[in-house]
Amino acid sequence: MIFETFKIAIQSLFANKLRTLLSMLGIIIGVAAVIAVVSIASGSQAQITSQISDLGSNLINISPGISSGAGGQISRTSADIFTLDLGKHIEENSPNVKRVVPTSSANGLLIKSNNNYRATIVGTEADYQVINKYYPAKGIFFSHYDVDNSTEVIVLGTDLVEELFPDSEPLGQSVKFNINSSTQVFRVIGVMEDKARGLIGDLNSQAYIPITTFMNKVSNSNYVSNFVAQAVSSENATMALYEIEYLLDRYISEEDEYNIFSQDQLLDTINSVTNTLKLMLIGIAGISLLVGGIGIMNIMLVSVTERTREIGIRKALGAKKSNILFQFIMEALALSSVGGIIGIFLGGLASYSISQIGGWPFVMSTLTVLIAFTFSLFVGMFFGIYPAYRASKLNPVDALSYE
Amino acid sequence: MINIKDIAKTYQNGEIEVQALKGVSFEIEEGEMVSIMGPSGSGKSTLMNILGCLDTATSGYYSLNDQDISQASEKELAYIRNKEVGFVFQQFNLLGRKTVLSNVEVPLIYSGAKKKKRIKRAEDLLVKVGLGHRMKHYPNEISGGQKQRVAIARALANNPSLVLADEPTGNLDTNTGEEIMDLFQQLNDQGHTIILVTHEHNIAAYAERTIELIDGRIQRDVVA
Repeated sequence: MIFETFKIAIQSLFANKLRTLLSMLGIIIGVAAVIAVVSIASGSQAQITSQISDLGSNLINISPGISSGAGGQISRTSADIFTLDLGKHIEENSPNVKRVVPTSSANGLLIKSNNNYRATIVGTEADYQVINKYYPAKGIFFSHYDVDNSTEVIVLGTDLVEELFPDSEPLGQSVKFNINSSTQVFRVIGVMEDKARGLIGDLNSQAYIPITTFMNKVSNSNYVSNFVAQAVSSENATMALYEIEYLLDRYISEEDEYNIFSQDQLLDTINSVTNTLKLMLIGIAGISLLVGGIGIMNIMLVSVTERTREIGIRKALGAKKSNILFQFIMEALALSSVGGIIGIFLGGLASYSISQIGGWPFVMSTLTVLIAFTFSLFVGMFFGIYPAYRASKLNPVDALSYE
Repeated sequence: MINIKDIAKTYQNGEIEVQALKGVSFEIEEGEMVSIMGPSGSGKSTLMNILGCLDTATSGYYSLNDQDISQASEKELAYIRNKEVGFVFQQFNLLGRKTVLSNVEVPLIYSGAKKKKRIKRAEDLLVKVGLGHRMKHYPNEISGGQKQRVAIARALANNPSLVLADEPTGNLDTNTGEEIMDLFQQLNDQGHTIILVTHEHNIAAYAERTIELIDGRIQRDVVA
């Protein structure tokens, strides 16, 4: 009996192919949108997460904070405590910290003969390349010797090489760096590898010099912008974080503030942001599913009116109220389930192509597919009940005499 | 078999109340062939709908096969329409998207018959009404007379005790109409109780008993 009713429902849908397709369209688009949104969001999230993990989940960033000028005091930053000695102090006294690398950066004009380019110049330690897993593709990175002796060497990002040395070999040549109307000359000793543009900015348009050279020649200051500490392992990152906080609290007076966060915390923050975004998009896609449901209700109501006579005949031949109710609910369910399946297919296709363009992994979870499909069935059921109920309670005499 | 007493039916047509039946009483025995006659508006179709459980009377008593229909629930009425009554309409009322065979199967589907049994029964009935060669055709591919034969086969599907025919020859030419009436005659000879609604005297003449309605009341009830 159930099978028979289902067959009747499918047959009547096939009898009106174009209309069936049009009324399914809402569900198809809705389901496809949900699937695509979840898949694209998950894929790009996975990419961001892996980019951050690539940076090392055992990294801890320490930067100076700003204390407000309350009670007549002048607002000041704790930047004047961030000396190279502070970095050494943390490295030596925190058992879970493997090394601490200071960084400072400045924007200026890099000049090579007729070519110039606005670039960020970063002063740092030789270990910078190790903790960031970012190495030169050509030549070498500067060494501890260069840092200790404040040599005037520079390592360029790939974009800078393209701009400044369009058709000559950069290694061994000199470039000028112009900042605050003073000019410094550096010797190029290396070119960094090409790094995909990601969350942490465009590394390819940065240049690197020893931190001491940076402090002496560029910033003329005894302080650095921030420290990156590397924990012994990612499991020890939290312990290292506490140790650093403990040391800083003793080293830095109470009013002075600083910011400290681990990559793990950053990851958590980003994940929670993308999850919220994902939920919002699913909500929007869900609304289109709901609109699709209303489309089904509309078409079912038309169908009931149009087939009033058929309903009358079926009732005259012994169809019970429940038979008619079931038949029309089945039709709505068939509409939404076929629409749902097509939608899953199209959504998968769309998110696959977009993931190929965006360059992130194609992620499509069974759970999402299942939820989207169940929801489309539910929508069909919900919006199918009223038209089906209307059909079932038609009086046989009235239905038979309907023209 | 059929026993009605003081059946009345009032319609609410907008503001106006229409009294289609004003107290009709009669009995019909099993195996009878009865025609109900009357001009249009006399209430004969209303009476037919009530007898076939498609509609319920406003007041009065109706029993079919000793079952009190006036008290029956909607579900029971559906059961009676399926098992006890077979309908033949003037407009044939076949389902256009189904084959001839599937049309005859419909009442069997609602009575819950198994597929094999259903097809066998439908095929037997179509052979019986002379349409064994048209089973896979669709209603729009066959003639009016053939459509009415399909309708008769469908009416007989669950072997009902009562066959109701509402102007069964109304949409047919004279010759085809006579063929259909011969078929009803045969069915009656085989023991089916048949009630025929018509306004044509030569069609009514096939029945041995004629009930004439005028203005919602029985004018005459004669056995030929």
